Amino acid sequence: MAIIFKNFRSKLGNTGPIILLYFLSITEIDTQFSNYFEILSFNLQFIIIYYWILRDPSVLGNGHVFFAGIINDVIMGLPMGTSPLTYLITSFIAIYIRSVTVKMTLFTDWFTFIIAIFFANLLYFILMLNFSSLSITYLDLFYNSLFTFLFYPLFWVIFNSYRMLLGVRIHD
Amino acid sequence: MSASRDDFGIVIRSALLQRGARQKFSLFFLICLSGLIFFLDSFPSKIMDRTRSILNDGIYTTSSIATSPIRGFSYLKEKIELHIFTYSENKILKEQLKEFKKKDFKSEYLLTENQNLKKAIESSQVALENNTQDNILAKVLLDKESPFLKSIIVSKGSRVGIKKGMPVINEGYLTGKIIEVNYLSSRVLLLNDLNSKIPIIVEKLGTHAILSGFGEKRPRLEYLPEGFELSEDIIVFTSGKDGIFPPGIPVGKTIFEDGEVEVKLFADPDQLSFVNVLLTDSIMEAKF
Repeated sequence: MAIIFKNFRSKLGNTGPIILLYFLSITEIDTQFSNYFEILSFNLQFIIIYYWILRDPSVLGNGHVFFAGIINDVIMGLPMGTSPLTYLITSFIAIYIRSVTVKMTLFTDWFTFIIAIFFANLLYFILMLNFSSLSITYLDLFYNSLFTFLFYPLFWVIFNSYRMLLGVRIHD
Repeated sequence: MSASRDDFGIVIRSALLQRGARQKFSLFFLICLSGLIFFLDSFPSKIMDRTRSILNDGIYTTSSIATSPIRGFSYLKEKIELHIFTYSENKILKEQLKEFKKKDFKSEYLLTENQNLKKAIESSQVALENNTQDNILAKVLLDKESPFLKSIIVSKGSRVGIKKGMPVINEGYLTGKIIEVNYLSSRVLLLNDLNSKIPIIVEKLGTHAILSGFGEKRPRLEYLPEGFELSEDIIVFTSGKDGIFPPGIPVGKTIFEDGEVEVKLFADPDQLSFVNVLLTDSIMEAKF
């Protein structure tokens, strides 16, 4: 009985990040707080993808990352394929960092996250500038990247606690 | 040196091509697929438009259903707050009422304001009076805020004759225009979006300008005549110069902030539940 319960808890824990990723993409819930502080907005999807691919890739498949990106594009009205590309770049950098890093701490995660945000948003910027008629404010993009970076440790702690709490297995 | 380069190549190759425990697709395959979708979507084609339209309708409906508990929760929260604060609010309102009774109203100011408002009502009626059948009421399905795009999704699409570029109003005031049409839903670009540019006319003076969104709450007036001085609280209307928007739809009032002429919109973009889409094709046809 205890084993069944443990397995159930572990499976439930494993699906949590996927559900959160889809939920953020499909619902009205957003991480834009301009009503409270004009420049405050961050990309929680990047944080989820980077953290879980880096820490436990068995929890978050690249297929889910791709589909969440497609949904996000439809909801946001962006050219289709933009978000999947940026998400997959984040995922790729996380896989790369995971392969070359021996011991992972909050600080190594946090500072390597800059590379992921930089390349993902650079790609977004290039695609928007060259292939879309939509205008974007560069400063907004910068603030979004900055706050995404600054909020990483907070979510790192939350996700770490979540893993501890639900006993999410780690597949190395 | 060459060994480290080899290692780098191996890691990159492994990251792109390897499939792990729950990875059914390689990263390389998915990146290529995303690139292909982006490429196909960038160039207009009938097949892609139809696919996107079906996908949009499906996702918007799912999203609307998924969001309904959150909306219900917000509604419940508002109701509870309303009940909790009714007593204190009543007290404040009573005091305010007393103060107001004591004050003398500035009759001249009110008269001018009244005239302005009458004008606004008349103008909006002109645009709509003969065309009560030519506007469609649509429910706001989604108003997910993005740091880069200010748009909403409404519950009516090409099935009821909505087309790209049609103006959208809320309680007679301009809210935005249609930028994407699906069979059952449409996307409205709000006036405060960075991509929004609307030709307007300034009340009384008859000066033309462009109302441009900047991604902030209030859009600004651009291309005003050189040396032109504008005072606050002047109402701006659509000029109809683009041939798409009917002239005379009230948009908002001018205010000054940081040396810029901004327009405080009559229709608050954050408080939209229902909007009307003006079927301008039939309005224009009826006119000419």
